[in-house]
Amino acid sequence: MYLYLTFLLLFPLAGAIIQLACLPLGGYRPPRRLAEAVACLASFGALAMAVLAFAAGHGGTFHLVLRKWLTLPGFTSEMSLLYDPQAALMGLMVTLVAFLVHLYSVPFMRKEEGWLRYFFLLNLFLFSMLVIVLADDLLFLFLGWEGVGFCSYALIGFWYQEPANCRAGRKAFLVTRIGDAALLTALALLFSRLGTLSLSGINLQVAGLPPHLVELTGYLLLVAAMAKSAQMPLQVWLPDAMAGPTPVSALIHAATMVTAGVYLLIRFLPLLTLAPRVMLTLAAVGAVTALLGAASALAQRDIKRVLAYSTISHVGFMFLGLGAGDMGGALFHLLVHGFFKSLLFLGAGCLIMLLDGEHDIFRMGGKLRRCHPALFWTFAAGIVSLAGVPPASGFFSKGEILAAVFQQSGIGYRFLLVLALAAVLLSSLYGFRLLLIVFFGQPAPGAPQDVKRPPPFLMVAVLYPLALLALTSGLLNLPSSTWLSGYLGSPAPQPGWIMNSLDTLLVLGGLGLAWLSYGPADRLGLRNPLSLGALHGPLLSGFGLDRLYLTCVARPYRVLADLLWRGVDERLVHRGLLAPGYFLSWCGQILRRASTGLLSTGLQGLLLGAAAIFCLLALRWWS
Amino acid sequence: MIVPFGHVLILAALLFLLGACCAVARRQLLMILIGVEIMLNAAALAFVAAALHWGRAEGQIFALFIIAVAAAEVAVGLALIVAARQRTGSTRADDFNRLRG
Repeated sequence: MYLYLTFLLLFPLAGAIIQLACLPLGGYRPPRRLAEAVACLASFGALAMAVLAFAAGHGGTFHLVLRKWLTLPGFTSEMSLLYDPQAALMGLMVTLVAFLVHLYSVPFMRKEEGWLRYFFLLNLFLFSMLVIVLADDLLFLFLGWEGVGFCSYALIGFWYQEPANCRAGRKAFLVTRIGDAALLTALALLFSRLGTLSLSGINLQVAGLPPHLVELTGYLLLVAAMAKSAQMPLQVWLPDAMAGPTPVSALIHAATMVTAGVYLLIRFLPLLTLAPRVMLTLAAVGAVTALLGAASALAQRDIKRVLAYSTISHVGFMFLGLGAGDMGGALFHLLVHGFFKSLLFLGAGCLIMLLDGEHDIFRMGGKLRRCHPALFWTFAAGIVSLAGVPPASGFFSKGEILAAVFQQSGIGYRFLLVLALAAVLLSSLYGFRLLLIVFFGQPAPGAPQDVKRPPPFLMVAVLYPLALLALTSGLLNLPSSTWLSGYLGSPAPQPGWIMNSLDTLLVLGGLGLAWLSYGPADRLGLRNPLSLGALHGPLLSGFGLDRLYLTCVARPYRVLADLLWRGVDERLVHRGLLAPGYFLSWCGQILRRASTGLLSTGLQGLLLGAAAIFCLLALRWWS
Repeated sequence: MIVPFGHVLILAALLFLLGACCAVARRQLLMILIGVEIMLNAAALAFVAAALHWGRAEGQIFALFIIAVAAAEVAVGLALIVAARQRTGSTRADDFNRLRG
């Protein structure tokens, strides 16, 4: 077990280090094939180790110490791992998706420069995420948490020649930093009270903590997860993160970045369950985000932004499930979402590549379906799963979350259930809107015409296993045979027939509505995106949160920075330091006149000085 | 000793002052050098008088030293004046002010 887990971490790290070692060589570049092979092998090794560890684990919990890391008086930090069923499943999903994304990146990066940097960051990204998944020591976890943030920053701004991409990268980094600060505060709080940073230790002792402290820590963790997982109102970085290469988007959304927040909360669930108010807030954040994210996705024209808002919305579902106390459901939805969202992103990447970088769904058009049926069917599988049409996996994971919310008593959860059901309807609506416009619509005039070239083999090949998983991973936790919940040891709430039929009705309603408004029939005339009415603007811009942050946070900050720079630094500090300098210089100017360079001046000075000394001596002799 | 010791010292002091005034006030390099010579000799006179007054030989030895030092000083000083004259064509002290700040 020790071996498997060590190598699970070491494979991607070794891959990253090998690529990094080649980076500064400058003139010498390793052959492209070699870099690709190293990166793919590293991720494949991680996948193999994850499978082996899963097989060897048998659902048990293992606590391993790799090595001592920091030892200070009164404080030790170890590189320790906590391998429990959640970590096992998460590790499997992360490595599987990452491996497929690595494979997909090989043809994707063929025509790009900077592939060495790309594969280095990709491997490092995987490593950091695996650290989050496996770490027991929270400082070690924080290392991975920051590593994920850094890699996402570097990969979102991968094409750094475009200033917009760099801005998007910076934005992602800065917004998630809010969460990092909250997480660090929570860790400090826990350490100061419990004297340990071990996750398993904290979860054992947490019952002895005073309730208000538990609540405070819970809120801090919630903020951390909200920033990382792009929940309202900190979701603003995720749509802009689409500036990165498409496989990176797939990785960020499905496996390595956005899910880290949910996973963190899953890890801390024993603490969170002690604070019911935090749980309710968590569920509320999730439900509101699920609804608003889905509504925003409805207004987008950029295929990647639709998917980004869809991620925000679905991660909201996971938060909701977690807030309702159903850890199994949240993790189930996380896995399922990982499969179908990476499938959709990778499929979208194929489409964008075929259309020479066209992102606008209204300019894609129906030819794609006839020329590339493989792309169409895999994409449709992803959409069906996303919308949660009954036999597909999304139906079961979402159904379990809804059932969990349904079982919670209290008026708050009832209200959230309504929000979630509306989000289910919208989810199906925007999902099928995307499918219908991209594959059935008439392309706008001036759209790229040459779409017949087949996409690279490998890029399509990785879509099949993902499509299969997106459709069938619901089998993990069917309402009748709940393998997953049993494995996790978390009871699965049973969605009754009312819940199921309501869910199905809403999904089919969304499908029908999408068919009527965006399908070939086009009866309601909603094709014009303005028909969303006055809502369209706010939905498109993500409710103007960007502008709000710019005016309320960025502008005062800038004014303050300007004041500190011009006012305090330049006027006060700078001039204050210059004043003594000027005084000394003025003294020098005066004394300079004494130095005439003439012999006589020197002699006069000598004489006067000698006379003065003699006078002094004479005075002392007399007195 | 016929002349009182105090008188000789006063004479030496007057000579020293005269030499100093000469060195400070004159602008010719040569005259400055002469002023310095006079100051040295005033000191030598005081040493000799002191040696006589206390009946000890060190003062006279010092006077000999001073004569030797004065000879060396004159040799170097005159050589410098000659060199300065060859370079600039002037022996006025005020013409040499390149060290002005």
